[in-house]
Amino acid sequence: MSDEHKKESAAAEKKAPLHGLLAEYETPWQLLEAAKKVRDAKYERWDTFTPFPIHGIERAMGIRMTALPWFVLAAGLTGLTTAILLQWWTNAVDYPWIVSGKPFWSIAANVPIMFELTVLFSGITTLVGMLMLNGLPLPSHPLDLKERFARATNDRFFLLIQASDPKFDEVRTRALLDETRPVVLDEVLEDRVTSDRMPRGIIYAIIVLATAGAIPLALAAKARFTKSRDTRLHIIQDMDAQPKYKAQRQNPVFADLRAHRPDVEGTVAVGELRDDDHFYTGKVNGDYARTFPSQVALTDATMERGRERFGIYCAPCHGLAGDGDGMIAKRAEYLASTGRGRGMGWVPPTNLNQDYLRQQPVGQLFESITNGVRNMPAYGPQISTEDRWAIVMYLRALQHKSAAK
Amino acid sequence: MTSKDKDRTPHSSSASPKGEGSESDVHVLGDEIRPGPAVSSLATKAAGVAVLGLGASVVLGMLENDGFRRFSYAYLTAYMWGLAIGLGALFWVTLQHLVNAKWSIVLRRVGEILAGTAPVLGVLALPIVIPAFLGHDILYPWANHDRVHADHLLHHKAPYLNPTFFLIRFVVYFAFFTLLGRFFLKQSLAQDKSGGVEIAKRMQRVAGPAMILFGLALTFCAIDLLMSLEPSWFSTIFGVYYFASCVLAANSCLALAAMWLHKQGRLTRSITVEHLHDLGKMMFAFTVFWAYIGFSQFMLIWYANVPEETFWYKERFAGDWATVSTALLVLHFVVPFFGMLSRHVKRHKKALAFWAFWSLAVVYLDMYWLVMPAFGAEGLPFGPIEIGALVGIAGAVMAAAAFGARKVKNLIPVKDPRLPASLAFENI
Amino acid sequence: MDAPRHDNPFALAPRGDNPFAKITDNIARIAEAERPPRAWYIAFGVSLALLTLFLGSLGYVAWVGIGAWGNMMPVAWAFPIVNFVFWIGIGHAGTLISAILFLLRQNWRTAINRFAEAMTIFAVVCAAIFPGVHIGRPWLPYYMVPIPNQMEMWPQFRSPLEWDIFAVSTYGTISILFWYMGMIPDFATFRDRSKTTIRRLAYGLLAMGWRGSSRQWHRYERAYLLLAALATPLVLSVHSVVSFDFATAQLPGWHTTIFPPYFVAGAIFGGFAMVVTLAVPARQLFGLKRIITLDHLELMNKVLIATGLLVGYAYGMEFFIAWYSGSMYEGFTFVNRLFGPYAWAYWTMIFCNVLAPQLHWFKKIRRNPWATLAIGVVINVGMWFERFVIICTSLARDFLPSSWHYYVPTALDYMTLGGSFGLFFTLFLLFCRYLPMVAMAEVKAFHPSVLAHAHASGHAAHSHGEIRN
Repeated sequence: MSDEHKKESAAAEKKAPLHGLLAEYETPWQLLEAAKKVRDAKYERWDTFTPFPIHGIERAMGIRMTALPWFVLAAGLTGLTTAILLQWWTNAVDYPWIVSGKPFWSIAANVPIMFELTVLFSGITTLVGMLMLNGLPLPSHPLDLKERFARATNDRFFLLIQASDPKFDEVRTRALLDETRPVVLDEVLEDRVTSDRMPRGIIYAIIVLATAGAIPLALAAKARFTKSRDTRLHIIQDMDAQPKYKAQRQNPVFADLRAHRPDVEGTVAVGELRDDDHFYTGKVNGDYARTFPSQVALTDATMERGRERFGIYCAPCHGLAGDGDGMIAKRAEYLASTGRGRGMGWVPPTNLNQDYLRQQPVGQLFESITNGVRNMPAYGPQISTEDRWAIVMYLRALQHKSAAK
Repeated sequence: MTSKDKDRTPHSSSASPKGEGSESDVHVLGDEIRPGPAVSSLATKAAGVAVLGLGASVVLGMLENDGFRRFSYAYLTAYMWGLAIGLGALFWVTLQHLVNAKWSIVLRRVGEILAGTAPVLGVLALPIVIPAFLGHDILYPWANHDRVHADHLLHHKAPYLNPTFFLIRFVVYFAFFTLLGRFFLKQSLAQDKSGGVEIAKRMQRVAGPAMILFGLALTFCAIDLLMSLEPSWFSTIFGVYYFASCVLAANSCLALAAMWLHKQGRLTRSITVEHLHDLGKMMFAFTVFWAYIGFSQFMLIWYANVPEETFWYKERFAGDWATVSTALLVLHFVVPFFGMLSRHVKRHKKALAFWAFWSLAVVYLDMYWLVMPAFGAEGLPFGPIEIGALVGIAGAVMAAAAFGARKVKNLIPVKDPRLPASLAFENI
Repeated sequence: MDAPRHDNPFALAPRGDNPFAKITDNIARIAEAERPPRAWYIAFGVSLALLTLFLGSLGYVAWVGIGAWGNMMPVAWAFPIVNFVFWIGIGHAGTLISAILFLLRQNWRTAINRFAEAMTIFAVVCAAIFPGVHIGRPWLPYYMVPIPNQMEMWPQFRSPLEWDIFAVSTYGTISILFWYMGMIPDFATFRDRSKTTIRRLAYGLLAMGWRGSSRQWHRYERAYLLLAALATPLVLSVHSVVSFDFATAQLPGWHTTIFPPYFVAGAIFGGFAMVVTLAVPARQLFGLKRIITLDHLELMNKVLIATGLLVGYAYGMEFFIAWYSGSMYEGFTFVNRLFGPYAWAYWTMIFCNVLAPQLHWFKKIRRNPWATLAIGVVINVGMWFERFVIICTSLARDFLPSSWHYYVPTALDYMTLGGSFGLFFTLFLLFCRYLPMVAMAEVKAFHPSVLAHAHASGHAAHSHGEIRN
């Protein structure tokens, strides 16, 4: 039978001890019958090799159900737990962030990822677990030296009883296998040809790849722990660098180097002519006006407009009634009372219903809104002139109301 | 992997050779396949239970003094549960023909008998349908002419949701269900006599178009009877949601029926643990499918948060109903999912029977959750009226099936060409 | 076309002295042939050209920005997302065939499952590219992955788009695992037949030392069953999650509860259409007519009718409920689909998806490979239009009439769409050339001789030949 062995030296062959006996069959059912006989003869270290799974071979060989499903179940539950913890920690604890009115931890919205991770963990475990339980990958095996055995993945059916089996006896085992009428009954010798060590080429390849793979990591590590005065590498510009000049920057095109160009002397931009002091500054001949300018219609509509604008721009600090108790003021007081507001330099907003303010001319109120007072910023740029007058009108109404109380 | 390995001894049957029954008329595997006296006695007993249950429920409903409102809701809940079994069985039978299933042949007659309850279910629907037709808004607000006029949405929907069209649709649905069930049972019985592939092919040919019509009928049946209880609410998936319950209920019932027949010494060798295992798989699959559909419906409505849709869920998350909703999630999905996951459970008769009863119970819970919030009572109305109605409907369906079974000669289609394959069927 | 061509090395009968060897030879020779048929080269050349076009158009968009596309408010999700959903839908048939049909014991799947799985993976690859480009800054997609970062920010897990990341990547991973696991025994066959060291090494590494031990087969089969059981809900989940991208919104035409199962049915429909579209030329080209028979085509065509009707059902339900809901926005959306500016797309979709597959009610058409191919292509067109209709008609007519807009794709949009087919077919043709195109081990396990004998063995011979499929 040695003619079937590979091209290795005859000396090596002779030295090699017996690995087992290999029987070859033409059909799956012959193999099934043979397997039953071997099973009944109480062999332990034996196996069959087939090109496709044979239905019923488990029973014929007495193979017990694999524990794989339990590993998969455990992996699935791990995946589920991971998904729950991940979403809970990131969205509800570490980085809570309101989105479309959903609770931070929205279980209904977390279900899809719970499911996906359960399946992902289970699936990977199924394949990896199957390979590990099967002892794969297995690069070499004594059977590889049998040329005939290549047909195990094509069209033939093999049965191998290992010599290491406690019941193995060369004569009796051979007789048992002979009874099953195999096409060929052959000896398999231990593999003394294939080196136990990995081929050099593969080792070198692994070393080279591992070194090359470590370079980016090393660079990243270096960048993390060293300081540099260079600007950072800016591979992708996004919108960081734009071809334009910003205000307050230099522009060499102009003699004065100002990027922000001032108006040309003696000109007024369209719509910016303000030649009515009463309306635009609240002053008549240098004194605060005591009347509303003619452009402001003293109507309910203006009052309503003033109420609305007051609610938007003034009430947050001064309160809806102008008593100086707006939401921001309340929060600042609360923070101050708990000691957390220290160092904030909070100046409480003015109560607008004080007598000195009641007596102020409307023009002065208008100017205060336009240019700001003390801590209060200027609202001129934000609120249109008409609206500022409307607010003054509404404020006057508030002051009258509070005085009447 | 349908190949058979004779080395495996089937769990319950003796070692008698399989498959020889394809030629015999009466004895398949030497099995008892006639309905026998047990079925007759079941028929009378179940009919008695039905009369008692429904009678008690009606009487108690009358004592409520609310013009049968409470009773109507209780009855509708129980009825939709019973309908799920009947329609699920009809779907099951049609499906087996459509896909030319072989494993299920031994169970097919039982399925046909269950599907044959359609006319009885049609009659049982009359207490729901007739008041609506007569314009009483006891269940359906759209039945009341005045309410329709007062409500813009109801007015908009009136071309569809009106008493006359409702009755017409109801008649069409049940005429179709009855005819389809009849057709399959009759052809199947004819096959018992003459045998032959031709009849099997004819049933397969009919199954295709029938399935289309069945899908439409089931969907609109669910919309009419359940969704229109709260007529301003709408959900495109609703038909599929009810369908999931139907299939779950029918498979559970088939498993229970098979095990009951085993207990009576019938079909002990033909229906094996392999077939029960497959039914168990279907129960498991449709438990999961129900959860999938239920979650899709809930999550999309919850997420988009459009008031026209959310009010329906808001009712079901208010007060005690929140408990029912949670219970539904846990009992209808989480518990049975882990309970039925293992293959050993599905191959163990007692365990499978437990989960079949469980599934039927949670389908009822689901129906209760769908119907009862529309009743609008404080707390959860559950008492003798609901129990009476449920027992009554269960008895009626059982009696209808048993009377149907009494009329057939064999409990399996003895001359179906695929029978030997079904008898020899084994799971992977 | 049926006549064997001289340049086709697969026209000869397969060699081997028994049915198993014949199966091995029939399939293995495709990857072993020195030169594939000329048609393969032509197809590969065309695919490479398209792939170049694809890479070029993606590079251009990355360089100048996505303003180069026709996307314009309010139609912000146009071609890229249409193409994404289209490809991910195609990617459903493979795992469906491998997993769900396996659980349903549809053994005929063995002839087509391998290349359907391959198709799945390549389609998922094509699909995954589109959202990556659509984000506008293709160098920042890692923002969507929960990795700790210097910004101390986390992805937003309440967003359906984030679910998509997980769903698609899980699906891709599991599909590859499933595909690879199925190929292990076939790689071993290739390894054992290989004549050159490179082939032996390459296939040997892939086979991981598989030798066909029954103890290993046992765990292998269990693992296959488990993966099938896991992949089955996964298939349903992927397109459901994709549908959530739309259905969680409040946009009429997007927000409807039937979307998850409807998208799944549509995906299976489109995926099967792609399988038949590929199967017909492949069996012709590679001499696989004995493996992928007319029976197989007929069964796939039946699946097409069924899923086509399910899709039709969903169209119908959407319409009915749009009216039933009484919501004027819903109602308008659907009238707009029928008669609005995109009515041409809508009617194309109805014709391709609902009407065309009805031809398969006729047995003659079902069993005609060329009719099958034609209808398969038509359905693929229809499924693309379905996504176009859903995405574009609803966006183009949103709540604010002043922002209405008629979306017109640019040449670049068309080039990207066409080019994605180049990527798909390049990968597919390489697969046909180098990997086991049909699951040899599985086909052998279901060979009639195995079944017939196993059936008759054991007890006294009762031969019933009815287990066929």
